[in-house]
Amino acid sequence: MDDLASEPVIMVSNLTKLYGDFTALDSVSFGVGKGWVYGYLGPNGAGKTTTIRIILGLLKPNGGEVQIAGINPSNDPVRALQIVGYAPELPTLQTFFTGEQLLDLMGKIYGLSMQERTASTKKLLDLVGLQDWGDKKIGKYSKGMIQRLSVATALVSDPLVLIMDEPTIGMDPEATAHFRNLFAELGKEGKTVFISSHLLDEVQRICTHVGMINKGRILFDGPISQVIDAFTQEWIVEAELEKVTEDIVSALKGLDFVENVNVDGNKLAIKLKEKKDLRGEISSEIFKHKGTLLGLNLHKATLEDAYLRALRGGGE
Amino acid sequence: MNALQRIGVIVWYEWKRALAKKSLIALLILAVSFEVFPFMILSGSSFSFMGTNIRETMWLTGVLAGQSLFVQLIAMQIAGSSMSEEYEQGTADVLLSKPITRGQYLIGKFLGGILLLSFVEVITTVTALVLSYGIFGTQRDIQFVPVMFVAIIYSILVFYSLTFMFSEFLRRSNLAMFAGFGVFMVSQIAGIFSAFSTGQLYGGMAQLLPTWSATAFPVSLAADLNVSSGSFFVSALTLVVPGDTRLAAAIIAVYTLIFFLLAYVRFAKSDVTKKTA
Repeated sequence: MDDLASEPVIMVSNLTKLYGDFTALDSVSFGVGKGWVYGYLGPNGAGKTTTIRIILGLLKPNGGEVQIAGINPSNDPVRALQIVGYAPELPTLQTFFTGEQLLDLMGKIYGLSMQERTASTKKLLDLVGLQDWGDKKIGKYSKGMIQRLSVATALVSDPLVLIMDEPTIGMDPEATAHFRNLFAELGKEGKTVFISSHLLDEVQRICTHVGMINKGRILFDGPISQVIDAFTQEWIVEAELEKVTEDIVSALKGLDFVENVNVDGNKLAIKLKEKKDLRGEISSEIFKHKGTLLGLNLHKATLEDAYLRALRGGGE
Repeated sequence: MNALQRIGVIVWYEWKRALAKKSLIALLILAVSFEVFPFMILSGSSFSFMGTNIRETMWLTGVLAGQSLFVQLIAMQIAGSSMSEEYEQGTADVLLSKPITRGQYLIGKFLGGILLLSFVEVITTVTALVLSYGIFGTQRDIQFVPVMFVAIIYSILVFYSLTFMFSEFLRRSNLAMFAGFGVFMVSQIAGIFSAFSTGQLYGGMAQLLPTWSATAFPVSLAADLNVSSGSFFVSALTLVVPGDTRLAAAIIAVYTLIFFLLAYVRFAKSDVTKKTA
């Protein structure tokens, strides 16, 4: 944890949730600091939505505690949730309202004045690309439009903390890219963004920190680069040659920074001991032994590698 | 924004939500039809024997006839869906993840339903007045219309709060309405049985039935106030459901309080379940 963790905006301590004999959350703890874009990862049924619903006070934990800006939302939801905007996974909104009416209702609950609500409604409908649909009943919206409106409802009060449960599910690629940028921008503005997502590429691109949960337990939690380092041990250089010779393979294996070389036809997978881009040194060695290179790629460890490794029980 | 304003927002929300439902509109039309139909029959020549007293008090007959069944049904329809439909449709999350306490939400829902019921009662009362004036001529004692209006709303609280409680406990609108209606029917039958039984024990037990206070309060109040003393409906009901106005009022208050508190405890202590239907 870095220095921001000293004043976490969301603090989850030893959270436990049971459904009969099933343990949905088992002593889950983590903290989310101000200005972080925190990706909360895990396979289906891992406990992501349960965690979020407890943070919002919708579920009662069997043990542990949640604090938002130092306030427990179960004890004082008005103060705790005043600074929070939430967009649920696959939201169901009130179909008898129009988009404008729903945003207005949300604004009323947050205590916005009529002028503030009017301005906010227009701005948000523009932001989520529903400016032409504001006066139409939500019952006529597509799933993707409902998802967009749900994100808009989360932003009504210009909250300091945004909690999004799979926010881009059901959106088309253009909208997904738009919202991905929006969440990253909100993080840069100093807002705390907590995103539960299956899209590892998305999380790696926009999140500063990640936490991973599986079977109700936190597997890792921290800055994204540290997590990748902790759960992946090597970088691999993939080389394609016109012809692979014993001489070349032996020479590469003899290099200090090479851990292992795997041969597959005319392709080599050179596993490095260090997490450095050493393609220059490798190509020099290949040329030295009369090899002809057709391609040379560095395969860096990704969040996906770390995620899969953590799921299999690897890591430090 | 203070607590009262938050409750007000939920009341407004509940009003909008209920009015969007076609089933409620259908029941309202049925209730008005139920009022119109007997008025039309009684206006026929075969009922020309009706005395002036009866003709001049037909507004009260219309108002109380609606209260005795259809307004109760509408109350159960509104209350039965109030909490449970939010769980069934998955919309409970939308409001309860916002800065509002569960108590404010529950009170807002409860009051919103009552406001809607009052609207229904306004329609049935106005219908009764229009029909009685139009068919039977000038009515008397109409200065008591507001008192009777409030008395009827108050008397409906028993089954409204009972079904509201079922709505939170069962979290299924149909089950809640069936449960409320089931209690209503059983209590009604037991009340009729008691009325024709002799002995103080039966009489005392009958007064504890939820239907007794719900029916007896407005009738008994009308009798106490000497409203339309000639009304055959009041006279008939006073015979079938004899009782004391204060006792009926107290029993309604106790039932309402108990049912509401049980709903609150259940709501405050339990999880907000995700979409169930």
